Amino acid sequence: MNKEEYLKKLSKKIKKVSIDDKKDILSDYEEHFRIGMENGRTEEEIAEALGNPDNLAKQIRADYMVKKAEDKPSPTSIIEAVAAVAGLGLFNILVAVPSLLLAVVIISLVLAGSAVIVLGILITLSPLLHVFLPNLVYLPINGGILGTLLLVVCGIAVTVMGIIFVLFMSYIANKLYKVVINLLKSNIKDIKEKTEVFK
Amino acid sequence: MNAQFKKGVLELCVLVLLDRKDCYGYEMVDEISKNISISEGTIYPLLRRLKKENLVSSYLKESQDGPPRKYYRITELGKEKKENLVAEWDTFSAAVSNLLNYKTEMGD
Repeated sequence: MNKEEYLKKLSKKIKKVSIDDKKDILSDYEEHFRIGMENGRTEEEIAEALGNPDNLAKQIRADYMVKKAEDKPSPTSIIEAVAAVAGLGLFNILVAVPSLLLAVVIISLVLAGSAVIVLGILITLSPLLHVFLPNLVYLPINGGILGTLLLVVCGIAVTVMGIIFVLFMSYIANKLYKVVINLLKSNIKDIKEKTEVFK
Repeated sequence: MNAQFKKGVLELCVLVLLDRKDCYGYEMVDEISKNISISEGTIYPLLRRLKKENLVSSYLKESQDGPPRKYYRITELGKEKKENLVAEWDTFSAAVSNLLNYKTEMGD
């Protein structure tokens, strides 16, 4: 691989790094090639000694994303950092798997709660819906004012339960979200110390 | 050699070299790879990290051979860090030598 091929490959693999940083990084390697050649080495020799550009790019990306997640912690920046670090094959699975499972559980419970709310609203409105769509809406309790009243009361009760459930889960989700982020951050810090790769 | 181990040593080497005089990246790679086999490219991400941690600073300096080169200078914080790392290294290497010598004596 010659200088141009090497720099091109590296540049392509660090697309996500901000333009200023990217320029800076590439100019370091350009300088390295230039001085190496002044010292009588060939472009190919220098490229070989620099190491695989893919590995280098992975490392640069991980450094960059982790720094970004540290400076501006947000779900997106943290996920990006985790993905970049995962690309290095250094991510601690003992942290990653529970974090993802927790996220899935929280999302499912909130979705289930929302479904309960919708169900409650439908039950409450079912006597009314029955009037308009008698063929589509089946009333579990039939008969008179008492039955209708019972349905409406049940429906409101279910709706309120669903709302309480969703509020409660959102509260828990919020707490857990912070725990997960701290877990990821400590893991990322740990990884940061491992990101300089050697032959 | 163990990569984790070498990584810490590379940081130590860079700080020690910069404590002697300001250097450009290639110069340090050249000096270090005379003694330890490293992927030369990894020194630049390390230098960027040291810069972010305010252990070193950088500046451009004209060279007779062509365009200006990026030189690195150790900061006061970097000097402190270097002292700590050197002390850690001395303790560590003395402990290992001790252990190795003890083993040889046992073998005899």
